[in-house]
Amino acid sequence: MDTLVSLEGVSKIYPRVHQPRERMLAFIALLLGRVPEQGAVVLNDINLNVVRGQSLGIIGENGAGKSTLLKLLTGIIQPTHGRVLTKASIGAMLELGAGFEPDFSGLDNVRMKASLLGLSNRELDERLDDILAFADIGDYIHEPVKHYSSGMVVRLGFAVITACKPDLLITDEVLSVGDESFQKKCIRWIEQFLQQGGTLLLVSHSMYVVQKLCQKALWIHGGTVRQYGDVFSVTQAYLAWHERRSAREKESSLQATGDAASYRIEKFFLEGAQDDNPPIYAMGEDINVELQIYSPDDRPPVGVVGVVRADGTPVYGVVSDNEGILPVKLRAHYYRFRLRLNRIGLLPGSYSMRGHSMDPEGVRLFDSCEQVFTITGNTKEVGYIRLPHEWLD
Amino acid sequence: MTKEKQRKFDRVFFQNLVVRQIRQNYLDNLTGFTWLILQPLLLLGVYSFVFSTIFKARIPEAMDIGFVPYLAIAFWPWMAFSESIISASGSITANSALIRKVAFATEQIPLATVTATFIMNLVGYVAVLVVLQLLGTSIQWIYLFLVIPLIIFMWVFACAIALCASAIQVFVRDVAQILPPLMTFWFFTTPILYGTANLPEIVQTLARWNPMAWFVTRLRELLLFGEINMGVGGLVMVLMITVFSWLSLRFFQRFSGHFEDFL
Repeated sequence: MDTLVSLEGVSKIYPRVHQPRERMLAFIALLLGRVPEQGAVVLNDINLNVVRGQSLGIIGENGAGKSTLLKLLTGIIQPTHGRVLTKASIGAMLELGAGFEPDFSGLDNVRMKASLLGLSNRELDERLDDILAFADIGDYIHEPVKHYSSGMVVRLGFAVITACKPDLLITDEVLSVGDESFQKKCIRWIEQFLQQGGTLLLVSHSMYVVQKLCQKALWIHGGTVRQYGDVFSVTQAYLAWHERRSAREKESSLQATGDAASYRIEKFFLEGAQDDNPPIYAMGEDINVELQIYSPDDRPPVGVVGVVRADGTPVYGVVSDNEGILPVKLRAHYYRFRLRLNRIGLLPGSYSMRGHSMDPEGVRLFDSCEQVFTITGNTKEVGYIRLPHEWLD
Repeated sequence: MTKEKQRKFDRVFFQNLVVRQIRQNYLDNLTGFTWLILQPLLLLGVYSFVFSTIFKARIPEAMDIGFVPYLAIAFWPWMAFSESIISASGSITANSALIRKVAFATEQIPLATVTATFIMNLVGYVAVLVVLQLLGTSIQWIYLFLVIPLIIFMWVFACAIALCASAIQVFVRDVAQILPPLMTFWFFTTPILYGTANLPEIVQTLARWNPMAWFVTRLRELLLFGEINMGVGGLVMVLMITVFSWLSLRFFQRFSGHFEDFL
């Protein structure tokens, strides 16, 4: 395979540079051929190969080191440890501003940027109309860039890159600045670029964009690779992690009342998936749930089973009482409900199955139990649940 | 420590940088271009008034040609040299927006600043030479074929110093404050306002190691007196500056990969 860029055990430490003394020491260290190793560790031991034709999405929370990784890949910064090998022409669009000089007109900046990307003056003249058409900022092209809106800067920056047709396109979270129609234009262009064998590295917080444009994803967490692989599994794991984190922050209001409850849950589990923890189901599989409840007065209790997203958003719930269902009596005081969710229509992601016990009248909730599970699958549908649908003529 | 493939020097980009620098410094503001001609003229007027009228400075070599042409021939190249180094020293920090977002050979930035300043000052220099000729000084135009390589060599020397200064400036911000007085000191220790013949024997020996003294003396000899004095001394100078320039480039490149961390 044709490797365009590879990182081998790359780490990046940003040296401390606030005090003049620290800067002076760093200067002397560099002069003596040493790399300053004191400071903030932003990336640690990253290994990555980008091969021709690949499209890779880089995801992670703010401050995870995504932008630093891109700067290393483009060669703007040097790694503290490890090696970065580049064998491709790179068109990079990092952060806002795109390296434009605010006092000069858009046109001057286009000229500058194009020559940086290796375009000769003649090539630029040939493609200038395309660039201006793509940017579509009208007469603003003759205004100084400092008068541009941030969206216009991105439009122009991206337009120059489209004209240069690099082997490898690297973009940071910049597309999100453009308006709806420009974003669509960019996505269309990138799709076409990928079809023609281009290679893409994209940082985005929009999982929709990542799933749409990338085959693979790299999840960076705290400066290290948390997960790397197929775009769907990585983005799903990432979203699930986020949801779990916000759920933890909310602190479940469903603190099980536990043993003290009179109608307490004896057993609650998802069948057929005891081996995995949390259980994993493919989308469209059946899920069997078993709920056993202890009844102090031996009257049949009411059971509730429901599904919530990992962040606690309710998706679906059903109450036995409302559907005229009575539990099976196992022995004195012990009752059992079994429920099958047929061909589960949940979209891939992380969910929790919840079981609740209620008194026989279905008035008071006594106990709650929760089991996390994951749904996997390759789909670009959005939301929580697949609604039965068909496309009509 | 890693060695990255050296980012390449791009001719078109460099040209654009130089043009941009010239426009930014001289053409895009009204006074810029006028000031470029006016500032050295004013200084020249003040110096010649102070030294020839008030101090009655006597320069043995300049008896026949007068003080003003004697000063002017050396003054413009010095201005190009000194100004280019001072403005290039802050060029890396001034262009941090570009350096932090685009990967390219950063040495092009100080080199473009030096080049732009040289080009603009040489325009002034040619104008001054023409004015001097019209005022009756006979300029030895024929020796331009030696003056041009001499000035190119001076440009190389300025580039070398600019590379060092701009790289250090990223780490030690005081360079911007230290450099102008240093250049003034250098100006007064170089025979620009006076001739080498005015100097005591021992200082003359020291001045021989000052490349700028060598440059301005040769310029005077060529343009005013039509003398060629480029023997062994010239060879030593060429060798010294070549080695120094190579070292400066290595010095700059040792730091350039780390600029982003410090900007």
